[in-house]
Amino acid sequence: MAKLSRRSLSLYVANGLNDPATQKTVLLQLAAYLVDTRRTKELPLIVRDIELYLAEAGSVAGMVTSAFDLTAETKKAIEQYVKQHTGAKEVLLDHSIEPSVLGGIKINTPGHELDATVRRNLTILKTQYKKV
Amino acid sequence: MSFINYFAETAATPEGSGDLFSALGIDWRLLILQIIAFLILVFLLGKFVYPWLMKQVDERQAGIEAAAQAASKAQELAAESEEKTSALLADARKEADDILSNAKLEASTLLTASEEKARTTAEKIAEEAQAEIQKSIEAAKRDLHNETLELVALATEKVIGKKLDKKADAELIAQSLKEVR
Repeated sequence: MAKLSRRSLSLYVANGLNDPATQKTVLLQLAAYLVDTRRTKELPLIVRDIELYLAEAGSVAGMVTSAFDLTAETKKAIEQYVKQHTGAKEVLLDHSIEPSVLGGIKINTPGHELDATVRRNLTILKTQYKKV
Repeated sequence: MSFINYFAETAATPEGSGDLFSALGIDWRLLILQIIAFLILVFLLGKFVYPWLMKQVDERQAGIEAAAQAASKAQELAAESEEKTSALLADARKEADDILSNAKLEASTLLTASEEKARTTAEKIAEEAQAEIQKSIEAAKRDLHNETLELVALATEKVIGKKLDKKADAELIAQSLKEVR
């Protein structure tokens, strides 16, 4: 079997995911193919490429990190922010709680990141104003 | 007095002239012989002794004159030599004075140069020390600034960690989203 490039593989899966009927099948095919061709280590890169293709198609998947649980109002504001900045029609966000960020929010979307956490600001305070 | 009288009487008597020599005790034959011997002696002396003596005297005189000339020449040479020696001594003294003067000048120049070098070195060392001190001060200020930043960040982190709650965090997030729009 000829080896597929990562980009063509990602494009194939992204196209499959756009159709709800084929989502599960495409994901299983991807998993089987990666295991069969011993390319499971490429999965993070493939997922990133798939996210990029999905974003181009108007479906953005992202990760939100905060120190506390988010209210419904905050989640809505975040979705609006992502739609506004990516032009996406559909936004899918995963939420992760990390107390180490202290406060604020961090949004990771394909090709874009917003880090408005307190931890980030403190790091900026320590590094940007530090004299060498 | 009697001798004078006798001589006068004899001279006054004409027949007594042949006996004058006898009266005087002189034998004229002996006298002639003595004259001849004397002449022979004079001849011999003039022939053999005087020329030799004169030659010796001339030679001696020539030797004395040569010696005198040599002495004069030696004196002249000595005087000349003394003059040369004086001139040489004068030159040597002048040269020595020049050398001494040059040595003093060189020593003075060397001393001045050494003083200048020492002064320059001292100034350089002082400048370097000052620069080093300034650098240390700058480094200390920088360290203090950075440590202050660290402390401020740490203190802020501690305060926020204790004071920030869910509600305040929601407000903070809303503010952040508002700022980036």
